[in-house]
This record gives sequence, structure tokens and C-alpha cells, in this order.
Amino acid sequence: MNTLSVDHRDPLFPRGPGLGLRALSLLIICGTLIYFDFRTPKLESLRSTLALALSPVLWVASLPEHLTDAGDYLDSRDQLAAENKRLHDRQFQLEAKLQKFEALEAENRRIRELLASAKNLQENVLITEIVAVNQDPYRHQITLNKGARDRVYRGQALVDASGVMGQIIQVNPTTSVALLITDPDHGIPVEINRTGLQTIALGVGDGQALRLPFLPGNADIQKGDLLVSSALGGRFPAGYPVAQVFEIKHNPGEHFAEALAYPTARLNQGRQALLVWSEDHTDDAETIVSVPGPAAAETEVKKPATMPKPTVTPAPAAAKPTKP
Amino acid sequence: MRRVPHLAFWLSLFAALFLQMVVLPDSIAAVRPLWVPLVLAFWALQDPRLPTLIASFLFGIMLDVLFDSILGQHALACVLCIYIVIKLRSLFILFPLWQSTVALLPVWLIYAFLMFWIDGVAKHQADPWLRWLPVASTALFWPLIFVLLDSYLRRRQRSQE
Repeated sequence: MNTLSVDHRDPLFPRGPGLGLRALSLLIICGTLIYFDFRTPKLESLRSTLALALSPVLWVASLPEHLTDAGDYLDSRDQLAAENKRLHDRQFQLEAKLQKFEALEAENRRIRELLASAKNLQENVLITEIVAVNQDPYRHQITLNKGARDRVYRGQALVDASGVMGQIIQVNPTTSVALLITDPDHGIPVEINRTGLQTIALGVGDGQALRLPFLPGNADIQKGDLLVSSALGGRFPAGYPVAQVFEIKHNPGEHFAEALAYPTARLNQGRQALLVWSEDHTDDAETIVSVPGPAAAETEVKKPATMPKPTVTPAPAAAKPTKP
Repeated sequence: MRRVPHLAFWLSLFAALFLQMVVLPDSIAAVRPLWVPLVLAFWALQDPRLPTLIASFLFGIMLDVLFDSILGQHALACVLCIYIVIKLRSLFILFPLWQSTVALLPVWLIYAFLMFWIDGVAKHQADPWLRWLPVASTALFWPLIFVLLDSYLRRRQRSQE
């Protein structure tokens, strides 16, 4: 079988610029784009306009996933009832914890006032939904359904229920793109919770681990140490859990020891994340949070800087749903 | 003279873009073929009257925006690969299908190399070995895409006659 299936020829007298010239001019345009995009932020507006125009493509590409999700709607009534009961139990436990927590927080505030410290423990957060995941396996980015209209800003921190997820790198009108902490381009200032040692955690790029490359050879760090975010750099709110150390490498002849850690946030599970407004930007967010009442409480929650780690007791196996 | 299949051309390119963006499990995401260059190369071989060069630029820019890579990275690689394919078209179309599968391998290699190189210049590290997997998968998918689109074109031609 020949690859040439049908007869056709090039026109005898081609019009317009030749193939080489056309290709060359397109290549030059690409080169200029690469140069300007790499060196300057001038093309950001063009990119966000194009991203808005291409959002239907992302929507269509996410359809198959939604179709498989549709199977979830067919959950049996039993399962739903069981889940409902489990969630009720868990909420009850968390509320009990929160009561104690509020008392502690008030006490902490009073003590800080005594110390004349202006540190604000309250941070504003907004629940957002993850609408897309970058399909390039070497870029760990997610698209969120909140954008400039919700006062999201570039560099804003993104957390989930168990730790820091990443930060916003691009804001479009109704969506925004976040870089996860496991991306090789990402670095986050961290503090070892046990000792208070400050260092930097870089993404490894395999989607799982973080790397702490600049540890002094005699640093006090152990397997299982919790890394929490540090306020150095002013980008991330302090005190959120970031990762847990699972391996420490002492390379003979090297100046620094290296540690590897797994992020505590569930980066590739779940659909929701929390955007955190840091103190410099809380003024912008005031208007969002100023609406009190149960209706607003669904999307806006005020919460203390350190998140309590929910300890969940498994639902009793005997939690059988009541049949009608 | 046969009519130029403009509609099929653009539709198949959008289908390729969709296949490039559709969510895959992590384990096989690294093996995803380079759908857009694959389909572009088919049309470049099939019909020189189609605006394949312009289309490769446009779809390259779309890939850049969707993947959030440096603007122009995919576009540059697409345009260069399609230029090579068009330039060597008179050679490629003489090959039988299995030989053209092998003969197009260097084109996918150039594409993967340009991705790797521009990412390297932009200091974006990535796993250097997994990056070359799409070259193999694209070559394996070439006969499939070729037979699929070619049979469609033959049927179309028959219905026109």
C-alpha cells in the first residue's frame, strides 16, 4: 500500500511567498514570542485573553471525567445514609474540638495583646473548586474556578484541609492557575516544627516529594519531622503543615545534607481547596467577608492560622442505615 | 480536481487538541502520543493545498496556552516539524505505511528534543528520560491515524464521484 493515495499535484505556478519563507517567518514569530514571554511579563494579558477564549476546550476535555462522575449519582440510598451519618459524627467531633480551640485562640490573643504584638491570627479564606489539572505530566498546575472577580491575586497561597497546596501564578477574570508545591519550579520557605530550623523546600517534579537541599551537615532533623510553612518572604501564612520528612541523605564530601519529604496536603485527591488572603491583602478581602450570616458561612469562613488536624475515628461498622 | 477537505482538516485538528487535553490516569499520562503534530503531519502529507503551516502555528499557540508553557514553545516545534514533513513530502509519500512509520520517527524526535531544549533554556526541569516516551507512542499511533483518516478520505472521494 502506497502512502500516496490520491493523485494531486502542486499548482504549476504557485502564488504568494514560498514554503521556506513562510516557515521561516513563522519560526521567527515563535522565537520572538519565546524571548518576550521568557524575559518580560508583557505577554501576560495576551495569555490570559487566549486562556479565556480556550476555556471551552478545557470544558470539553473534562467531559469524560464528568461522565464517569455521573456514576456517583447512582449511589444507593444506603450508602448515602451511611455517609451522612459518618459526616455527622465527624462534624460533631470537630465542633467539640473547635470549642476548645476558640477558647485557646482567645487566650492567645489576650497574651499577644499583653506582649503588644500586632500579629493577626485571623485569616480570610475562600473555598474554591479545582476545575482542571494541567495534562502536561511535567507541570504540576491546577485551574481553580475563582479569578480576579473574586479578588484572587498573584502569589496567593492555596491550602487544603491537611496542608499547603501551592500558590496562584496566573489570574484570569473568572479562573486562576495555581502552581503546586511539588512542581520543580516551586520553592516554599519552611520551618521544622520540632526545632524551628528555617529552610527551603523545593518540588522534585515527580508529583510526590519535596526536597530540602540546603540543610547544614549537622542540622537537627529526623525522619518523621513535620515541616510547617514559615512567614519568611511574606507569601505564605505561617504555621500551616507542609510536608513530613521521610528520608535524610548525608552525602560525603558535600557541604549540605539533603532531606526528602512528602507533602501533607492531598495534592491529587479531592476537588476543593482554600484560598488564603495574607495580611497585606486582607483589606481587599474585607468586602467579601463583611457579609455575616449562615448564607455567607458556606463559602467564606474565618479561621485561625493554625489548622487543627482532624483526627477521624472510623465510622462504626455497625452503622447500618435505617430503611424506610 | 478533488476538493480540498477543509472541514475534515480543522475538525480532526480540534479532535487532536481534545485528545491532548483529555484527563488520563497518571500512570499512562507520560506515554500520551503527540496528537496535534501527528494529525498535522498526516494532512501535510495528504494534501499540500491545505494551510498546514499556519494551522501548526495556531494549534501550537493553543497548546502553549493550555499547557501554560512558554508562549511559542509548542508552536516553534510544530512549525519546524511540519516544515520538514512538507519539504520531504515527495520522499515520504513513496514509502509504504510501515516504512513511513519509521521514516517519521526523526520528526517526533525533533519535536521531543525541542520541548526538552526550550524547557532546559527556561530552567524548567523535568524527568529527562520519560520525556522521550511520547516519541515511541506517537510512532505507534501513526499507522492507526493514517488508516483512519485515509479510509475516511477515500469514502468521501467515492461519494463525490
